[in-house]
Amino acid sequence: MAKSRTYNRKNILIIVIVIFLATLGLTGRLVYLIIFKSEDYAVRAKELHERERPIKAERGSIYDINGIEIATNKPVCTISVINSQIKESERVIKVLSDELGLSEESVRKRVEKNSSIERIKSNVNKEIADRIREYKLEGVMVDEDYKRHYPYDSLASKVIGFTGSDNQGVIGLEVKYENYLKGINGTILTLTTAYGVEIENAAEDRITPQPGNDLHLSLNVNIQKYAEQAAYNVMEAKSANNVKLIVMNPQDGRIYAMVNAPEFNLNDPYSLIDEIAQEYVGETISSEKLNELLNGMWRNACLSDTYEPGSAFKIVTATAAFEEHVVELDDRFFCPGYKRVEDRIIRCHKAGGHGSQNFVEGIKNSCNPVFMEIGARVGAKKTYEYYKKLGLFNRTGVDIPGEANSIMHNIDIIGAVELATMSFGQSFQITPLQLLTAGSAIVNGGTIVTPHFGVEIKTPDGRIVKTLEYKTKDNVISKETSEIMKQLLEAVVSDGTGRRAYLPGYRVGGKTATSEKLPRRTGKYISSFIGFAPANDPQVIALILIDEPVGIYYGGTIAAPVIAGLFDNILPYMGIEAKYTEEELEKYQVGTFVVPDFVGKTNKEMKDLLKIYEFGDVYSSGEGDIITEQFPPPGDSVNRKSGLVLHY
Amino acid sequence: MARTAGETKREKLHSYYDYSLLFLVLFLVCFGLVMIYSTSSYNGQRLHGDATYYLARQALLGGAGILIMLFVSKIDYRLYIKKLPIIKIRPIAILYFLCIVLQVVVIIFADEVKGAKRWIEIPGLTRFQPSELSKIAVILVAAYIVNLAPRKLDKIWGFLRVALFIAPLLGLVIAENFSTGLIIGLIFVAICFVASKKKAYFIISGIVMGALASLMIFFVDFRSDRIDAWINVETHEKGYQILQGLYAIASGGIFGKGLGESMQKLGFIPESHNDMIFSVICEELGLFGAVSLILLFILLIWRMFVIAINAPDLFGGLIATGVLVHIAAQVLINIAVVTSTIPPTGIPLPFISYGGSSLMVILFEMGIVLSVSNQIKAQK
Repeated sequence: MAKSRTYNRKNILIIVIVIFLATLGLTGRLVYLIIFKSEDYAVRAKELHERERPIKAERGSIYDINGIEIATNKPVCTISVINSQIKESERVIKVLSDELGLSEESVRKRVEKNSSIERIKSNVNKEIADRIREYKLEGVMVDEDYKRHYPYDSLASKVIGFTGSDNQGVIGLEVKYENYLKGINGTILTLTTAYGVEIENAAEDRITPQPGNDLHLSLNVNIQKYAEQAAYNVMEAKSANNVKLIVMNPQDGRIYAMVNAPEFNLNDPYSLIDEIAQEYVGETISSEKLNELLNGMWRNACLSDTYEPGSAFKIVTATAAFEEHVVELDDRFFCPGYKRVEDRIIRCHKAGGHGSQNFVEGIKNSCNPVFMEIGARVGAKKTYEYYKKLGLFNRTGVDIPGEANSIMHNIDIIGAVELATMSFGQSFQITPLQLLTAGSAIVNGGTIVTPHFGVEIKTPDGRIVKTLEYKTKDNVISKETSEIMKQLLEAVVSDGTGRRAYLPGYRVGGKTATSEKLPRRTGKYISSFIGFAPANDPQVIALILIDEPVGIYYGGTIAAPVIAGLFDNILPYMGIEAKYTEEELEKYQVGTFVVPDFVGKTNKEMKDLLKIYEFGDVYSSGEGDIITEQFPPPGDSVNRKSGLVLHY
Repeated sequence: MARTAGETKREKLHSYYDYSLLFLVLFLVCFGLVMIYSTSSYNGQRLHGDATYYLARQALLGGAGILIMLFVSKIDYRLYIKKLPIIKIRPIAILYFLCIVLQVVVIIFADEVKGAKRWIEIPGLTRFQPSELSKIAVILVAAYIVNLAPRKLDKIWGFLRVALFIAPLLGLVIAENFSTGLIIGLIFVAICFVASKKKAYFIISGIVMGALASLMIFFVDFRSDRIDAWINVETHEKGYQILQGLYAIASGGIFGKGLGESMQKLGFIPESHNDMIFSVICEELGLFGAVSLILLFILLIWRMFVIAINAPDLFGGLIATGVLVHIAAQVLINIAVVTSTIPPTGIPLPFISYGGSSLMVILFEMGIVLSVSNQIKAQK
């Protein structure tokens, strides 16, 4: 065995020194990486580990004028599975398919899919989600979320609108006030493994979501309900295509109700309503066709569609004439049933003509020749000036997207014939809301208001963020003309074509219209009525349009009573008390009296008493001759002509 | 010079045993287990449903390895080069030919893992990497041949004579696994280097080795790919693992994120318990922990150095040097790869990285070194 020599040891030392030097070099490299490259690499490593997960902000609610919630959020859940964490996949598949009502194959496909996270179902009811959570299945995630919910389903559907899958407004107020309602999404910064699985309790940073603000409307759920009921009733009774009804405060433009019957269910906006679906029974609807039908269903026709306003537009013609002082109330006109304008004969709606009449009678009769005459007196240029003043060339500015504008003749081509037809509301088109806005200005003393729903934006805890303000334009017509028009329109209702809108105890003004739809002579009409009350100080103005009624189609006959019924319901509700005139008390047998005590009276005595008291039907029961019991009891105040029950 | 077993027994009272080396080894193995648990628990849970899957296997083999080491340390290392009583064959000859057979078997039969055949499956037990065993064989055989005529190493012919004996095994190893071949080559060259008085030819042979290595690197497909990956570590597809390791190292900072707090081990570094374990050590224990570990290795090398220069004979010194170079080379190459200092190659970190055959072989070698230390006369 050889001995170790000194040079052998030296050689080993050389090797060790080389090794130490190399180690030193690598340590230097390590220091360089950790100290000087950490900025670069460590930041990139962090980016690799961090996942930003958004936390949805709760969307603001929408309230009516009385603070009733009409659009809110319902907690829903999203169920997903994390493939790598599933332990009992058969049980997971069984539970999820049972609880969620999904087919086993579709669940299996997702559970067994080798992705980091797979969504099984979203918008799951909270109760179901809670049940799934109870199973404590590993790898099954239940995330809470919000879903937009509309407690009144179809109420004012085309006004309120709805939100899409990403909780963003799709139509209506939900779109218009998106920025206020949506809130600010938060984020949660979590750490994940390379397989995208979140590490528990490793949340590094969290930005709390800021819930959206609440929108408070002028819409009144009760008035909207009355209005919808009235609209549906007349739509059904007259087999009409649709009925539009707007109820507004003419003084400030706050809209209390806007009905577009048939409405659709906001909680199920992608299903066609029966009225549309029944036309396609047995047909397969292509996706484009369905899209088109849905868009039609969602359309707010009160402001997106135009029509020929017809006779209701005579209030504008009359207003222009009074402003221009080209007509006096007692100016006399003669209607032979038509008027010759240049080479054309334009007929009045009354075949034989109204004969000789003054202007008041002319408007009461809604006589076309009278308005052709005064329209001609104002002239095309001045007429357009008043149209402009009354806002008929501009969109009203209502806070709902998709508003249409009027379709008017170019002023250069307006001849006598065009001017004549325009004076009674034909040959041009405006939106119902434009007519209502013009009508409001005419009866409110000359102020153009911006019709609107939004009143205030508030934080969820009730602090006012913004009071919404709308443009108004004063004195577009004079107060005097406004006064005259109110009187004239009240006369139309009390003693003219609008008499079926007459409401005892209230002073109602209004104007009827029956517009023949284009193309003419197809027997399709729009019956409408614009009415306001009280006539001396209008607090509410309403416009109804009945599209293609079957049978009687005169606005005065079918549209006016709807407004009367509506006013009858909503005026007391709005705190406007009925004030009956002596004449009305007599004529409509309204008023109250106190029920006297009839107990103890004989049958014979009673017969005389009933001649004095104004009871309606009297019901008697019992065998005796003397009254032992009565209803209503003595001392009660009852309406005239109410019933009386007597027991002998 | 030869001693009988009886003499060994009598001298035991005076013989030396390097307990500090033993302690260092035990500490490194335990530290390795801690880091393996830290790095592998996520993958163990994910792939095998058991966080301690890798830990349990490594602990079992580590424990066995320690027992083997203690046993080997009590065997006189000179026994390996003595002819066995009946068959008249030296144990190292048996080992050498066994290694050659195994290397041939592995090239012909073994399954391909990651583009290279390296493993022999021992049914029901574990996978075994014959190239690990070849390291022991080369250390012992090279030391033995050099020991026969150390003065011949002064000339290149002497070196080539040793090389001739080593070449068959080294060739087989290189054919199968370049980086292990490199380490074996280093061990062999180091042993020759220690024995030689004149060293001019080492520079020449160094150049030859370098040229050979370059040829391997640039003309074997997947290895030149590795060079690309190394140069463009941030963009190259195959640089992913190294880049993730760099992320881990850089995000550790001075004191690290704390034991078990590594993010990169959560699937970002594939098989972070293997060759890339040092990057996770940096991430969890920081520069401080990494330098501490490097210092432990330096201490280990220092102890082996002390044993090597105090070895009772040249053979013992050469064996200790061989083991020293083996461990140092693996530590240096592993850290150099992890820090992207050299092109990536799969060399485990001794004592720490997951891998049974590697750990067992290293512990066996430590046993031999301890046995060398055991033969040092305490009073010398």
